[in-house]
Amino acid sequence: MNPISRREMLRTASCGFGYLALAGLASAASPAPSPDLKPRAPKIPARAKRVIFLCMSGGPAQMDTFHYRPQVMDKPHPGSIVNFAQHGQSGLWVSELLPNLARHADKLCVLNAMYSDTSNHAQSFLQLHTGDRLRPCPSMGSWVSYGLGTENQNLPGFVCLNPWMPTVYSSACLPSLFEGTPIGVNGEDMTKATIRDIEGDHLPLDLKRSQFSLIQSMNREYSNIHSDDARLEGVIQTMELGFRMQTAAPDLLDLKGESQATLDRYGVGKRFDTGRSKPSDFGRQCLLARRFAEAGVRFIELDHRDWDQHENHLRDLRANCASIDAPIAALLDDLQQSGLLEDTLVVWGGEFGRPGMTPGQKESAGSGHNNRAFTFWIAGGGVKGGYTHGVTNHTGTDGLEGKVHFHDLHATLLHLLGLDHERLSVVQGGRDIRLTSSQGGKVVHEIIA
Amino acid sequence: MDLPRVKPRNHAAPRVSQLPRAAARPAPTDMSPAAKISSSRCLASRPRSRWTIAAPFVCSLLSAADLLSADISPDQRTFFENKIRPVLVRECYECHAEGAKKVGGKLKLDTHSDMMTGGESGPAMQPGKPASSLIIQALQYDGVEMPPKKRLPDHVVQDFITWVKMGAPDPREDRPKGNSPDATFQKKSDLWSLRPIGDPQPERSTARPDWARDPIDHFVLAKIEAAKLSPEPDAEPKALLRRMSYDLTGLPISASQAEQFEGEYRTEGQQAVARWADRLLSTPQFGERWGRYWLDVARYAESNGDDGLGRNPNFPHAWRYRDYVIDAFNRDMPYDRFIREQIAGDLLPADSAAETDRHLVATGFLALAAKPAVAMNNNFAADVVADQIGLIGSGILGISVGCARCHDHKHDPISLRDYTALAGIFKSTETLWGAAGMEPLSAPPTPLHELQKASLTSVPPESELAQPAAPFKKRPNKGKFNYPPGAPLAMGARDARDISDSRVLIGGDSAKLGELVPRGFLSLFPSRSLDATQCPPQSGRMELADWLVEEARPLTVRVIVNRIWLHLFGDGLVRTPDDFGVFGDSPEHGELLDHLATRFLKEGWSIKKLIRSIVLTRTYQLASSQSEAAQKADPENRLLTHHSRRRLDAESLRDTMLVLSGQINLEHPHGSLLQHQNVLVNEMGNLHRPNDYRSVYQLMLRSAMPPELTAFNLPDALTVKGKRETSTLPTQTLYLLNNSFVLSQASHFAERLLAEATDEPTLVRSAYRIAFARNPSPNELTKALEFVTEAEAKLATANPGPATPRHRAWAAFCQSLLASNELRYLD
Repeated sequence: MNPISRREMLRTASCGFGYLALAGLASAASPAPSPDLKPRAPKIPARAKRVIFLCMSGGPAQMDTFHYRPQVMDKPHPGSIVNFAQHGQSGLWVSELLPNLARHADKLCVLNAMYSDTSNHAQSFLQLHTGDRLRPCPSMGSWVSYGLGTENQNLPGFVCLNPWMPTVYSSACLPSLFEGTPIGVNGEDMTKATIRDIEGDHLPLDLKRSQFSLIQSMNREYSNIHSDDARLEGVIQTMELGFRMQTAAPDLLDLKGESQATLDRYGVGKRFDTGRSKPSDFGRQCLLARRFAEAGVRFIELDHRDWDQHENHLRDLRANCASIDAPIAALLDDLQQSGLLEDTLVVWGGEFGRPGMTPGQKESAGSGHNNRAFTFWIAGGGVKGGYTHGVTNHTGTDGLEGKVHFHDLHATLLHLLGLDHERLSVVQGGRDIRLTSSQGGKVVHEIIA
Repeated sequence: MDLPRVKPRNHAAPRVSQLPRAAARPAPTDMSPAAKISSSRCLASRPRSRWTIAAPFVCSLLSAADLLSADISPDQRTFFENKIRPVLVRECYECHAEGAKKVGGKLKLDTHSDMMTGGESGPAMQPGKPASSLIIQALQYDGVEMPPKKRLPDHVVQDFITWVKMGAPDPREDRPKGNSPDATFQKKSDLWSLRPIGDPQPERSTARPDWARDPIDHFVLAKIEAAKLSPEPDAEPKALLRRMSYDLTGLPISASQAEQFEGEYRTEGQQAVARWADRLLSTPQFGERWGRYWLDVARYAESNGDDGLGRNPNFPHAWRYRDYVIDAFNRDMPYDRFIREQIAGDLLPADSAAETDRHLVATGFLALAAKPAVAMNNNFAADVVADQIGLIGSGILGISVGCARCHDHKHDPISLRDYTALAGIFKSTETLWGAAGMEPLSAPPTPLHELQKASLTSVPPESELAQPAAPFKKRPNKGKFNYPPGAPLAMGARDARDISDSRVLIGGDSAKLGELVPRGFLSLFPSRSLDATQCPPQSGRMELADWLVEEARPLTVRVIVNRIWLHLFGDGLVRTPDDFGVFGDSPEHGELLDHLATRFLKEGWSIKKLIRSIVLTRTYQLASSQSEAAQKADPENRLLTHHSRRRLDAESLRDTMLVLSGQINLEHPHGSLLQHQNVLVNEMGNLHRPNDYRSVYQLMLRSAMPPELTAFNLPDALTVKGKRETSTLPTQTLYLLNNSFVLSQASHFAERLLAEATDEPTLVRSAYRIAFARNPSPNELTKALEFVTEAEAKLATANPGPATPRHRAWAAFCQSLLASNELRYLD
């Protein structure tokens, strides 16, 4: 039990510019992932390498999108109020509001009995992202890039498009290198979403390099003097990443190279603006997500914020569905075509769902929150396609079988990525911090192909 | 196990846990001091191993059910759902549940907390102890016989024994409480933050009798020693002065100040510290620093932010409130007075027209909300009220009241009635936000306060006004409220013509009205009656302000002293500065918090005096180094063994760059860039203009904050923000490397150097003294000279700009100082 001293580590780490020599430091006795961005082999056989999380903030109405709950009693009861049809070989039910996504029915693995601990937006949103509903903990994307590193050393392992709040991309007690990089501001025009100050030509490139090297040598000197503060080392590493991003990110964010046909398929630039459904250019987000996935980013989160239909349920839901339908379908098409879908997990869902609407309610009626049963779907990397998991009661408000908690979802996603949720942990103040929290989670083996 | 000793941000070593889950939990004997202290406040009946995990974070008030639903494992959940709940429902609920025709023995079994509360015969069980649990005895027909008709089969009884042995994990949520204020929060006296403020006396250390300089130090030392830790030594004088200077004014120190202070500190010790503290506290920069903290609480901004329809009307007069706040901090206005003016300034008596003006401007506090558009929004008025109630709740009381708009608060002791009582006060108030960008669909135009003595705002010629980014439909000012150009106006609040109580809005919807609730205050504290004899009748804001500083004093005062502590230490004694409710943090140092509160009251609610007292403590003056033992036992530094290292906030970083470049303009600019126009920010393109005033005076537009500040966690001004995030992002590096503001300051910095000296080593020394108030080490000097030589050679051949290669080389060097951690972190 001889921990390598920090000074020793730094000596190695500072041996060359642009190279974080931490990877080799974990001794053979320790399988601990060393905290840098280099790709790491998964600990258990992996089915997927990266995640695209389509986060539907607000609580999407599952019974009018992917979970069909028709009227089955004499009297009208809560359930689906739009038409559904069966699609694909699998005969998966998909709502009429999502005609393009319906084409991909055979790729979707739908979890209908998801549940979480609370029906408050803030806490449940936090739990969806971090496993914990009360205090700041590392976000999913931070855990995944912490566990696996990332494939492109010139980009962050975790990017967040259009993020809603820092919770979404916070690395909390993990080193700041694993914090998500936000691109665009939720509620602002996505066409302007870029990484600010990504370019600068005030100095020739080689001089920029020398200048940065000088800055980092000052920073190392400073953290040598304050060797008890590990955050300073984290800042150095994050600065390295920032420097390297200058070479890779500008091209990725520039959609000029995409054909008009592609832009049309994704609906880039289409802005839906109805009631709560705000223009967010979700098509651009999906296209950027594909580009980041192709470039080797480990975890990409997109955010669509408008799913809290407390009023005008149907009108706003229609607009929301119209804004995501073609873009996600195009994303799945492209991932399929490039073969990336085989090892990419595309995950769709929000912090909870909603109780169903009852036929005959007036047009302006809305729906509340339901955390006892709601729907997620996963496509790609190792999950069964055209598969439905979980059974709810006839009104869809409670799960009866195949219930999947956020912790179980987290455990499953990590498992598919080759990470054991019980071992992916850090100790802080004597406590084990994990994505699945102290309550643990169970891998849902039934959905794995 | 060999592990790299790289610690993540919160000082804890990351590692993959090699231990099975159960073993990974700290055993009771390994409890951290923090956990030990917390656990004494917690329910004694909880299994200890769980406690050690949850304790440091969970407030004492959580009911057992809250904890259990949070901590229950999937296996336990399955067990409860399959073996326990069905039996309870089938066999017991008929007589022992909410809604039973007659609740037997006043015992309810349908929530965990009811089981714990028990009935006439006491608690139904003791988790972990089946033998002494009433429910088990009853099932076993041991003294009591339940269910009465027939004894349940043995295996069922055995399931219950197993369950109680487990600690009775229970996923059932507590039922929502009724509407009556009493039923809403039976245990409100349990919430620590509502208790009367005590005046505890600290223990005195025998081991370090001379350590403490102030009672505050005694409180701190007692906890440190109880945890068998030691405080760090005092900070070096230069570090201390730098800390004081940033904490009190937000500005850096110069090398000569550092040297002067070092000399005085060596000979005079604390007298020198007190003198410098007084000097800093008396500068106008103090109010600019501390006023900005309050502006974070007040969700201050100069535009509405996206109204939901893409429109973002500006608030051309908001800056008067900003100036009012800065001035209030500079003149050390007593905090109770500060609250009264902001909530009821328009109703306060005044001795002069200037004072009347000030009172009116103060009510801007209530008018700065980010409002949703009024178009198609029946709830617009209720939304405005909701913002005001939320602001007073989170900002002044540290309690989130907003949830109670639609239903009784699920966790905190706030009922729908409480909310409605407050809503009546604000419904009887007219909020004055002005013309709303001349866009009535965003918000209906309102009048503004017309000031009498305030100076006019100068109106620049049309050609200098900000121009829209693209042509748009000109909206003529045909509103009812026309004022001559440049008239001194202010946003704010005044009593409405119609003074009346509010009805409960069912589900928060203005269209569904419930019972009428008399205007009043939260039932957390004794109420005070509104004067019904007033003629004309008043809204009740005056009484609300009185209530906040009198009856609600336990919260109001604890919250503000905690905010003050937070800004001097980087974290509050309560880590959730805007939430002192059930889900907020409970303080490690509750007694110290009360001591601060008591002192604050004794000193006439003076913020400056409290800051001064804290700055003169040994606790404040400790070094920011951290021992390994403390790192292990107290990674969050709740015991205050040392001073926490902090990153400069966005404003301080920008101001520092301006000081170093010699460009800063410390004058107080008059007004704001957009003071003379009513526009929609979203139509205007970039409205920010480079200037050298302090950051607090920049144009703070919601959804379009100044790009010179946004990289470092600027708040969005939508809600109360007691503590900013301090995330570390690669995009911050990009700002430091490429942002035009940084480049421009680096260039000025270089100009300043080159004007003073010519030989290279002197230039480097001078740069280090300006940036870090110290001389470079020989190694640093060499590296700097090498870089400048290389840069000058490369720039001689590279694309020539207007500046000389020598100037550009030195600018590149200066930029590296601006981008360094030493500049950005505060020891």
